[in-house]
Amino acid sequence: MKRLLSVLLTLAMLLSLVSVSAMAEEKELLTIDVYDDAANFNGMQTGWFAKVIKDRFNIELNIIASQVVGNTVYATRSEAGNLGDLIVVDKAKFPEIVEAGLAKDISDKLPECENIMKFKTQIDVFNKGLTGEDGKYYGIPTEMTDTSPVSLTDDVIYSTPKVRWDLYKAVGSPKLENLDDFLAMLQKIHEIHPTNEDGDPAYPFTLWADWDGNDNMIGIANVVQLTTWYGEKLKGSAMLKPDNTFSKLYERENAYYKITKMLNKANQMGLVDPDSGTQPWDTVASKLSSGRADVMWYSWQDGFWNSVDRLNAGTGFIFIPIADQYYYADADRYFGSDRMFGIGSGVEGEKYDRLMAFLDWYASPEGVTFQHDGIEGLNYTVNEEGKFVPYKDNALMDNLPVPDEFGGGGYSDGNNQINQWIVSALCVNPITGERYAQKYWQSYKDMTMTEMKKEWQEMYEAEDPVDWMKKNGKLLASPSVDFTPAADNNDFIALRSEVNKCLCDYTWQLIMTCATDEEFEAMWDEMVEQLNGFGYEQLYEHDIEVWQPEIDAKIAAAAAAE
Amino acid sequence: MNKKTRSYVEFLYILPFLILVALVAYYPLYGWIYAFHDYMPPKPISSETFVGLKWFAYIVENPVRLADIGRVLVNTFAMSGISLAFSWFPMIFAVFLNEIHCRPYRKFVQTVTTLPNFISWVLVYSVAFNVLSSTGAVNSVLVNLGLIDKPIAFLSSKDHIWFKMWLWLTWKNAGWAAIMYLAAISAIDEQMIEAAKVDGATRMQIIWRITIPCLLPTYFVIVMLNLANFLSNGMEQYFVFQNNFNRKTIEVLDLYVYNIATTGRGNYPLSTAISMLKSIVSVALLFITNTVSRLVRGEGFV
Repeated sequence: MKRLLSVLLTLAMLLSLVSVSAMAEEKELLTIDVYDDAANFNGMQTGWFAKVIKDRFNIELNIIASQVVGNTVYATRSEAGNLGDLIVVDKAKFPEIVEAGLAKDISDKLPECENIMKFKTQIDVFNKGLTGEDGKYYGIPTEMTDTSPVSLTDDVIYSTPKVRWDLYKAVGSPKLENLDDFLAMLQKIHEIHPTNEDGDPAYPFTLWADWDGNDNMIGIANVVQLTTWYGEKLKGSAMLKPDNTFSKLYERENAYYKITKMLNKANQMGLVDPDSGTQPWDTVASKLSSGRADVMWYSWQDGFWNSVDRLNAGTGFIFIPIADQYYYADADRYFGSDRMFGIGSGVEGEKYDRLMAFLDWYASPEGVTFQHDGIEGLNYTVNEEGKFVPYKDNALMDNLPVPDEFGGGGYSDGNNQINQWIVSALCVNPITGERYAQKYWQSYKDMTMTEMKKEWQEMYEAEDPVDWMKKNGKLLASPSVDFTPAADNNDFIALRSEVNKCLCDYTWQLIMTCATDEEFEAMWDEMVEQLNGFGYEQLYEHDIEVWQPEIDAKIAAAAAAE
Repeated sequence: MNKKTRSYVEFLYILPFLILVALVAYYPLYGWIYAFHDYMPPKPISSETFVGLKWFAYIVENPVRLADIGRVLVNTFAMSGISLAFSWFPMIFAVFLNEIHCRPYRKFVQTVTTLPNFISWVLVYSVAFNVLSSTGAVNSVLVNLGLIDKPIAFLSSKDHIWFKMWLWLTWKNAGWAAIMYLAAISAIDEQMIEAAKVDGATRMQIIWRITIPCLLPTYFVIVMLNLANFLSNGMEQYFVFQNNFNRKTIEVLDLYVYNIATTGRGNYPLSTAISMLKSIVSVALLFITNTVSRLVRGEGFV
């Protein structure tokens, strides 16, 4: 029965492909300018994803990436009155874009988009908050999930300490009580693993500086991320403590100090890559995939190393708990992530129709499958039960060549450069009945039920990292709420920029140049004095005012769930 | 054609250049208007956004911020000052280059020293990174020879940054700057040199008594031009070399203005206000040099 169903489904898909492509031929080639705050690529979309869109809609995408060409493009394009046809912006910017008349009122067409409207609850909440009216639509949230605001579907959370399992075992699988134990273990690992296979130097920590101050959060991005290991979460310039109170970032009992101090100690022990602080993320990415880093801390960083082969060989990165830690995690992003989709106000007529049709497809099972899973026959195969099975899962990592029938070029080069999705990979794919993300496929779970994972489960008496955290009371899951922080005015933009620059410069020097604890403490005091001189306290008060409503909403959401 | 019509016609000859100057040099000054508004894209400026001198007051109202701008000015003056103090270097280089009699060798040296001028700063930095980073050529050689056990942080240290920047600048510019002096040297009257030789002058004496004095007018004009650019010592070089370790000593005024406008959301009014201050200081410097020149040489430039 299932086989029959899958055959029918495939037939239906093929037929729809034929009809869509027949339709596409009739229409002229349409170039869509995409103003995109999420993209890491500027220019025309090429490769396999370009072919997918062109075949279906005869549309090509011209990506204008503010992260590549610089933020000034936002000013110049909005001054010209046209950001782009399709707009992908940071959520905080969205209200001002609507106010300045740069985003189109899409109330007439959006309700017809049945794929997008599966997320009607979330879209309604956001737009109501924006305009105060029912049924008036401007924006579509991104990466929404079909679960609930308080559920945590992932089996790993966004940031945890992760170490290579084979190296961890090689140094005797020590139980880690605190960061000192962690460093002592890393020192042993560094001794047995001073270089990668090619003989290039490897370090436990390799850091990068070009994300510093991103997302309106001040400070070094790497340090800020690791503060979540102690249940703290930076909101602008204010540190949110596990008990939902705010505290000044630079207080010594806060995790920013703890992590900076840990990294400085690591550097004194020779465990930090000397290029940290001057190298960009791209360099770090290539170091991760060539085995020149022994510690990872983002969940997605696995993608640079953990292939099925390496997991089988037991050399994958995996969560190693540290007893005194308490991990902050965002619950499923039910209401979406921090960016928005919108349509440029200049889009009219046929272009508008075709763009909305494209956008609805972008949220359709077929579109989402391409975005999260890639191409059938290249990234996955379909088994007898109609479920997906991973295939060549290193396509993105190693930029594998794509056959000409799929568009040619490198896989990673031709990947969806919009780099932002309407539908989260956590959602269930109606075609397979499984979630879009590969790690939830039964086939993937079977493939990766490796010795390494079994050993891990035995040692920590838990199914997976989140299970361990829940059993041991080490998880702080923060509910998803719809919240748009008020945008800074010019005074706070200037102040934030000055405070951030001062904080980043000092933090890097604290980590990389202080040779003794006395030096470290003295420089920390100097930093606090400078920060206050620039007006840190004013910024802190401002940020508390901005973020308190979100905290209140989160508390309410958590209470409602109980 | 009477005299009056002719002067009108002749005025037309220079009109294209006047238009060009108006477009390129004066029209952009319209952008100064942003310093008086609370401009934040995507909202265009209007009468509502007018804030008067708010951003100029913002610069001076906080002592720490004022000290920060002071630090930037010190960097600017120091690095411009160093290149000014060594501005005789290309001249001497040209003089000595001119003394090389083996023509192919002279051409070779001249080509090799001129070429870097055509390399962009971004490429210069990638060369610097490959040579001087912790895994770069220099550190690899030193570590492998056992001379040091930890790589030296050439690029991520704030020590001697002003001098290092001058070295890079000289490496890039000296050959190019020497071209003007070489041209001036070829214009020196051969008879003077012949006469000096007949009188028994040595090579050094000819250089000291004839070549250099003949080059001085050219030298002064170039110094004058450099002085006008004292505050605009370019930002590309410092932009590519800046990082979290050396920013305090490398940030010059142009870079500071750029950083304010482009990092994060960017504050355009404030950065416009600071760059306006720069123009005022530049004009003041120009008048000072002109006055000094008038006092010393008896004639001004303007």
